[in-house]
Amino acid sequence: MSLTSNLSRRNFIKSTALLGGGLAIGFNLSGCSKTPPYPNMNPTSLQTNAFLQVTAEGEVILQLHKSEMGQGVYTGLTTLAAEELKMSPALITVQHAEFHPDFRDPEFYVMITGGSSSIRLSYDTVREAAATLAAILKSAAAQQLNVAESSISLRDGKLVHAGGEIAFADVIATARSVPVPELVTLTSPQDFQYIGHFNGRLDALAKVTGSSQFGIDVQYPKAMTAVLIRSPHLGGKAKSFDAIAALAKSGVRSVLDVDGAIAVVADTYWQARQAASAVTVEWDKGPLANVSSESLRTERYDLLDSESGKNVEEVGEVGAATGDTIEEIYDVPYLAHATMEPMNAVAVVGPESIEVWTGNQSPDIALSAIADATGYKREQVRIHNQMLGGGFGRRILSDYLVEAARVAQLSGYPIKLVWSREDDMQNDFYRPNSTVRMSATIDGNNVTSLQSKVVAPSIMGQFVGAVSNTLMPEWVPNGLHNTLAGLAASSDPAATEGLISSEYQFPYKRTDYVMQETTIPIGYWRSVGHSQNAFFLESFVDELARRTEQDPLQFRLSHLPADSKQRRVLEEVAKRASWGSPEPGQFQGIAVHESFKSMVAQVVSISVEGTKIKVHKVVCVVECGLAVNPDIVVAQMEGGVIFALTAALKGEITVVDGAVQQSNFHNYEMLRLNETPEIEVHIIESAEPPTGVGEPGVPPLAPALANAVFAATGQRLRQLPLRLA
Amino acid sequence: MAELSFTLNGQAQSLTVDSGTPLLWVLREHLAMTGTKFGCGMGLCGACTVHLDGNPIRSCSYPAEFVSGRHITTIEGLAAKDDTLHPVQQAWLEMNVPQCGYCQSGQIMSAVALLATNQSPNDADIDAAMSGNICRCGTYPRIRKAIHRAAELSVQYYQPVTNAEAES
Repeated sequence: MSLTSNLSRRNFIKSTALLGGGLAIGFNLSGCSKTPPYPNMNPTSLQTNAFLQVTAEGEVILQLHKSEMGQGVYTGLTTLAAEELKMSPALITVQHAEFHPDFRDPEFYVMITGGSSSIRLSYDTVREAAATLAAILKSAAAQQLNVAESSISLRDGKLVHAGGEIAFADVIATARSVPVPELVTLTSPQDFQYIGHFNGRLDALAKVTGSSQFGIDVQYPKAMTAVLIRSPHLGGKAKSFDAIAALAKSGVRSVLDVDGAIAVVADTYWQARQAASAVTVEWDKGPLANVSSESLRTERYDLLDSESGKNVEEVGEVGAATGDTIEEIYDVPYLAHATMEPMNAVAVVGPESIEVWTGNQSPDIALSAIADATGYKREQVRIHNQMLGGGFGRRILSDYLVEAARVAQLSGYPIKLVWSREDDMQNDFYRPNSTVRMSATIDGNNVTSLQSKVVAPSIMGQFVGAVSNTLMPEWVPNGLHNTLAGLAASSDPAATEGLISSEYQFPYKRTDYVMQETTIPIGYWRSVGHSQNAFFLESFVDELARRTEQDPLQFRLSHLPADSKQRRVLEEVAKRASWGSPEPGQFQGIAVHESFKSMVAQVVSISVEGTKIKVHKVVCVVECGLAVNPDIVVAQMEGGVIFALTAALKGEITVVDGAVQQSNFHNYEMLRLNETPEIEVHIIESAEPPTGVGEPGVPPLAPALANAVFAATGQRLRQLPLRLA
Repeated sequence: MAELSFTLNGQAQSLTVDSGTPLLWVLREHLAMTGTKFGCGMGLCGACTVHLDGNPIRSCSYPAEFVSGRHITTIEGLAAKDDTLHPVQQAWLEMNVPQCGYCQSGQIMSAVALLATNQSPNDADIDAAMSGNICRCGTYPRIRKAIHRAAELSVQYYQPVTNAEAES
């Protein structure tokens, strides 16, 4: 069977316009596709669409329209293109794409990397783009040789025919006049040479030799380095400052107020940092003065009782909830992203243009944000994306690009803005704190209902107000943006995702959400709402199993549909981890969770000494459709487990008087190699289209670990990070 | 101001910087050698690890004037002149270690230093030598495997060719 893709049906628009000598085709993904030029378009190349071009020398270049932050899109998307071009991914050159409407995501409607969606949403798009190029190249070769198109095939980056081979470069002239095919035929999965098989990492060589270029490595001639002194109180602004001593320091060019923070501009980072410590600033503490994470927690506990909230899910009849009620409160703190590369950006502001070099997950949003902040038109702003030294959701935000642009605009210098680790830790957009009351009714030995009531701030409420300029036409008034933000907040899917829509079968299920209005800045953090809601749900399910005196695995299986993915991964992980037969002195915990359309189950094996939890082994089973690069899937599961272990064992951002108390890795600790357990990953074989892998490894870890702690100690820990009494 | 003269990856360097400037910023800004990374500025994360006369140091917290007259090796100086990778870099590739890659220069420099003094480290040796380097992506399990693999490669790499092999 071959998969034929009807391009017309997909709003694939055809253009025979010859621009810059290139043959131009565009995808109409979001109804606003523009004509070429495409980003990084080479006038002598054959460019069949925004994604791919063949240079006059025959080099195939892919525009990487997703940001590489470690999750593997650099390799993954190239593998998709390589499959249809029948050439090794290693033979394709990859460039970071600049913004273009054709790179907008079909679900988010902006050019963004997030939601573990890059491979899933590019699976057809990139293969179609490559198949179109392949078809045009074959057609051109057939025309030149005067043979049937079917007698031409692609192999190792060349066109092969009965009499020999032709290089891509030799058919480009002919290819320019080849009509764009209405239909392209995609390679059948059983014929895949690279998808599902290619296990190299195309970005690895540069990353082991130090030549990979991250945003912080960008060199711009005569750029000055800037550091920003921000209010220690989130949202606070400078009232006045004294820079006399700082201006006398070596290399200092300028000290200026930039939107409430004080920028120190110097020849080098060290000089700027030294001078910054000599600036005295009087701060207005801003709207979060007197707010602390403790007062916010108390408020959430109060809101659980005082507010009824909004019903988010109700399944079954409330009358079915018979028997005794049990309820428990769970709670998680703010968390920082702590990417290894601190935030940074190079910005050059000219009279008619702004250019920014940085690593960012959402250049589309950043273009609008920079335009809004500087008064330039969006079309005057360009962003050159780089490798990201970690993203995890932090680099969806545009704050550091805007800062660099504003410092450059106000100081008059080309600026390289570099944050310190302290800046990064204390000016993040944190994983929200959240409190939930989990409750159930138990009749005899049967659980008759499962209910949850969440109190948490709304990421959407903060985010939509900031990004809606990108998403909506310019004529939409600001007031409407705020209204939309309010609407989004009242039913923020992130607050309850993972608690609702579970496959667990109980006679009555219900989830309610109460929004906490007051919060410090919050944002998307690897696995978002799932990061806490899996902990809530899968810990409480474990409690229900214990209450009804059932094995936690058997309890789950008996409340899941027969053919569900949950059952499949649970049964597999139980087998792989020898569930029920832990090593002597060790104890096991299990959890399963679906996120980003993938299902992950984990068994954690631990021992406890005093109040110290030692994690020995994590067995992880993932069902994520077809694994395009299986070893990258394994790496994402390993990384997800370790990211989640840091959060479960150590992670907590606390706030006093609107100021974040943690500052660097000594008081916001990361899991280290000596604490890392053995991690074993198994991928369930599947021919379904690929689903997410960047985030789904995170959510099940915390509950599996907490459940193991209960098995070991009898203590049910309902707060993260896990601390034994 | 401080006058600096030192050897960087085998090449003599002379320059003047502000007194107290950490070696990291001399490398990254004055010499545009950006393979060595800034992570924390306090010697807590190891992203800035380089070798001073073969020993690993945290360049973010090491005043550059202290390196005068001495030898510095950075990630850019590990591979041979013909671009043949160091066995540790080779092992890192074989095990697909890097994810975002930002911490890997420091990880590799720490691993090279470990293998220079211990040619067949066990897991406890690796734990002790590598726990000063943070990786937020969670590549630790692969780092452990890659160090074991590099130990094998190093033995092969440094083993003199026997007559029998040379003849075959």
